[in-house]
Amino acid sequence: MSGGGGGAQQAAHSLAFRVMRLCRPTLHVDTAPLKFDPCDILFGEDLFDDPIAASHLPRLLSSQSNTSISDPSDLSYRSRFLLHHPTDSLGFPGLLVLPQAFGAIYLGETFCSYISINNSSNFEVRDVIIKAEIQTERQRIVLLDTSKTPVESIRAGGRYDFIVEHDVKELGAHTLVCTALYSDGDSERKYLPQFFKFIVSNPLSVRTKVRNVKETTFLEACIENHTKSNLYMDQVEFEPAQHWSVTALKTADHSLEHSLLMGETFKEPVLIRSGGGIYNYLYELKFSSPHSTQVKVEGSNVLGKLQITWRTNLGEPGRLQTQHIVGNPITRKEIELDAEEIPPFIILDKPFLVSLNLINLTERVLGPFEVWLSESDLLDEKAVMVNGLQTMTLGEVAAFSSMKFELNLIATKHGIQKISGITVFDTVEKKTYNSLLELEIYVDSQ
Amino acid sequence: MDAPPSPPPPPSPPPEECSPIAATAVANVADDPLTSPYASMNSYCHDLSTLQDLACRGAWRTIVDKVARSRSLSLLSKPHEHLIYLTFNLLSLVKLRRYSDAQQELKTLDDDLDSKQYLYESYPDHYPNHKPGSMVPFALRWLHAHLPFTLGDRQLALDRLYTLLHFIRDKKLPPNRDSDSEVSLTLWKKREEFVVNTIISHHLSQKEFKVCLSLLRAEISKNDDPLLVSKLGYVQMQYGDLDGAKRSFEVVEKLVMGSESGNVELKNLVSRNKALKYLVGKDYVSAVREYEECIERDGSDVVAINNKALCLMYLRDLSDSIKVLESALERVPTVALNETIVVNLCSMYELAHVNHADIKKTLSTWIARVAPDDFDNSCTRI
Repeated sequence: MSGGGGGAQQAAHSLAFRVMRLCRPTLHVDTAPLKFDPCDILFGEDLFDDPIAASHLPRLLSSQSNTSISDPSDLSYRSRFLLHHPTDSLGFPGLLVLPQAFGAIYLGETFCSYISINNSSNFEVRDVIIKAEIQTERQRIVLLDTSKTPVESIRAGGRYDFIVEHDVKELGAHTLVCTALYSDGDSERKYLPQFFKFIVSNPLSVRTKVRNVKETTFLEACIENHTKSNLYMDQVEFEPAQHWSVTALKTADHSLEHSLLMGETFKEPVLIRSGGGIYNYLYELKFSSPHSTQVKVEGSNVLGKLQITWRTNLGEPGRLQTQHIVGNPITRKEIELDAEEIPPFIILDKPFLVSLNLINLTERVLGPFEVWLSESDLLDEKAVMVNGLQTMTLGEVAAFSSMKFELNLIATKHGIQKISGITVFDTVEKKTYNSLLELEIYVDSQ
Repeated sequence: MDAPPSPPPPPSPPPEECSPIAATAVANVADDPLTSPYASMNSYCHDLSTLQDLACRGAWRTIVDKVARSRSLSLLSKPHEHLIYLTFNLLSLVKLRRYSDAQQELKTLDDDLDSKQYLYESYPDHYPNHKPGSMVPFALRWLHAHLPFTLGDRQLALDRLYTLLHFIRDKKLPPNRDSDSEVSLTLWKKREEFVVNTIISHHLSQKEFKVCLSLLRAEISKNDDPLLVSKLGYVQMQYGDLDGAKRSFEVVEKLVMGSESGNVELKNLVSRNKALKYLVGKDYVSAVREYEECIERDGSDVVAINNKALCLMYLRDLSDSIKVLESALERVPTVALNETIVVNLCSMYELAHVNHADIKKTLSTWIARVAPDDFDNSCTRI
C-alpha cells in the first residue's frame, strides 16, 4: 500500500519517495475473539444447578486465576483466552487500523497522502528542493513546493516527511508527481521524479423528476450509490433558485423510539448501500415573486440545485453539488377567457346569452379578435351552437385590460351538455387559442 | 497429525457401587472434603488445572497433544471429563486455525447436544444424587455454532447462533424455571449476552449497520452498561454518523460519572471516547493528550497506546508513532502482542523504510520467540 512509483533509475539515486494514502482509519472488528468465561469451558452448563457443586465451584475458580488482566508481571496470554467483560465477544474494542490498501477514490472526496522522502544511501544529501503536484488531464495543481526554503540536509538513513491534501474535483486519471532536486554525496545535483497514478470515479448519480400540480412544483430526487462502501447521508439539501421556496417532505418515521437512557428520539440513519443502493428525496417548491404570476419567465426555468454531503468510515466526508435542476417549461399565458354570466335556466331549442370576459395578460395591445365555436370532432351534431353569425368580431384589447362580450347560443340536446370548442383568433398576430374555457350547462326539455 | 479422537467410551460402573450401602457411602463422599470430587480442580476433572494453565499461556499445540495422550492412555474415566477434554481440544484446533480438524473432532459428537448421553441422570453410578441436567460445557455449544463460519458457511453459523440464543431465552431464562439457583441464572444471563454480542459481531463485519444498531439498542434497554453504549458509539463512528456517536459518548460519560468514578477502566473508557471525538474532528494533538492520560493511569491500555501511535502518524510524526508501538511490544508483550497492532506497525515500517523487508523480518523473528501458538503471522505481510 505504500508505494515507490515508477519514473526513476532507482539504483542511481540516494533518495526515494514512499507514499501512503492517509484516508481516515477504521475501527477494527474481530468476528471471533475466541474468549470465554471459564465457567463455560471447565464445567457442564447445568452444573451450577446442583447445590453441592454450586457451593464448591466458586472456590475452585478463584483459586485458579486471580491476577488481574492488566498486571504487567503476569506473563501469560490470558487476555487472549479469558472473557473480561461480556462485550469483549463483540470484538470491537475501539482499536484503530491504518488504511491497508489504496482503495477507490471518488469525486468530492479529499485525497490525503503521507509522503516520506528517504535517504537510503551512506551519505548526506543537501539542498533538497521537494515538489508534490497533482496532474490531471486539465490542470496541474501544486500541493507542496520547497523551492523558496529548500531542506538543508537529509542525513544518511534519514527521512523528510510531509502530508498533502487535495480536494478531488475532476474525474478520470490523476497522477501524484513527487520530485526532488538535491545534491548527493559527490555534490552532484540530481533530479528524482516519481509518479503515483490513480483514477477518480463518480460516486453517485442523481435522477430527478419534476411534476407540476396546480401552483406547486414537486421535485423527486433519487440518489444512487456507485461506490464500494455504504454511504451515510449526512446532509442532503435542496438550494432553491431565486423566487423559489422549498420544503423537504419526509415520511412519518415509524421507527422513532424514545429511549429514557439515551434521552432523545432515535432516528434511523440514512445509509445507502454500496454498489447500487438508492434513496429517494421529495421536495415541494413554490414560486413566489413580488410581481405575481405575470412575471413567470418564459422558456425553461431553473429550480435550484441539490447539495449532498456524505460520510464513510470515521466520518470521512465527500461533497457534491448537482447541476442546475430545471423545471417544466412554462409558457406565458397571454390571454384568459372567463365566464361572467350564464343564465340559470336554459331551454332546449331556445336561444340564450352567455357573457364572457376576454383578458389581455400581456403588456402589449392584442387583437382585433375573432371568436367562434369550432367544429366538433364527433360525427353527430354539436349540442350547443352559435345562434346567428358563426364568427364574432371583437376589437383590440389594451395591455393588461379586458373586454366583455356576449355569445348568442342555442342548445339542440337536453340534459347536461358542454359548451366547448370556444376558439379565439388574434387576427394581427395570427395566433389561435382554443383551450381557454369549457362550460357545463343543464338543458331543460321545456 | 494426531490420531483421530475416539468417542467417549460407555461408562463402566465399578463393582462396589452395586449395593445400596455403597450407594449411600458414595452420596456422602461429595460432602467429605478429603474425597469430594470438588476438593480441587483436578479431583473434579483429570489434570484440569494444567489444561487451564496451558490455555492461559496460549499453548494450544500442547493442549492438543495432551488431549490425544490422555485419550490414548485412557486417563479419562467419567463422561464429563471426556466432554471437557473434547471442548478444550476443539477450542485449541479452532485457535490454531485447523478448521477441518476441528470439524472432524465435532463429528465425534452426537449431532444433538441435548441427547440423553450428555445428561448427568444417564449415568447414575457416576453421578449419584446429582441434580439432573446437561454436562455439555456451554463453550461447546458456542463452538458448534461458530464452526461453519470458519469453513466458509457464514449463514449456517448465524442461523445456529440465533437458534442458540432462542434456546437460552426459551429454556433457560424464563421466570418459572425449576432451578432456584441464583448463580445458575446469572450464568445463563451472561451466556445470553455473550451470544448476542457474537451475533452483532457477525453483522458488524458484514457492514449490516442497521441490524447492529437495532440489536445494540435492545441490549442497552435491558442493561445500561457504559461499555455497551460505547460500542453503539463506535458503530455510529464506523459508518460516519459523528453526531450520533458524540451523543452516545455523552451518555457513557453520564453513566460513568454516576457510578464508581474511581474505576480506572471506566475512566479510561471515557477518555478514549473523548480522544476519538477529537480524532474525527482532526484535532490529533488533543487526542494524543487524552490517550497519554489513559496510559498514565493504566500502562497496559493497549487501545490507548495503539490509537496514540496512529494520531502521531497523522501528525506527520512517523518516527514517534513507530517508537510508541515498538516500546509497547517490549514493555508489555503479553497484552500488546496483538495482530492489529502488528498490522499497524508493519504499515508504518513499509512507509518509513525503502528496504522494509529487513526490519519486518526482525519483528517476525521476535514474534516467533514470544508469541502464543494462536498468533496469526500473516499480519506481518512478509
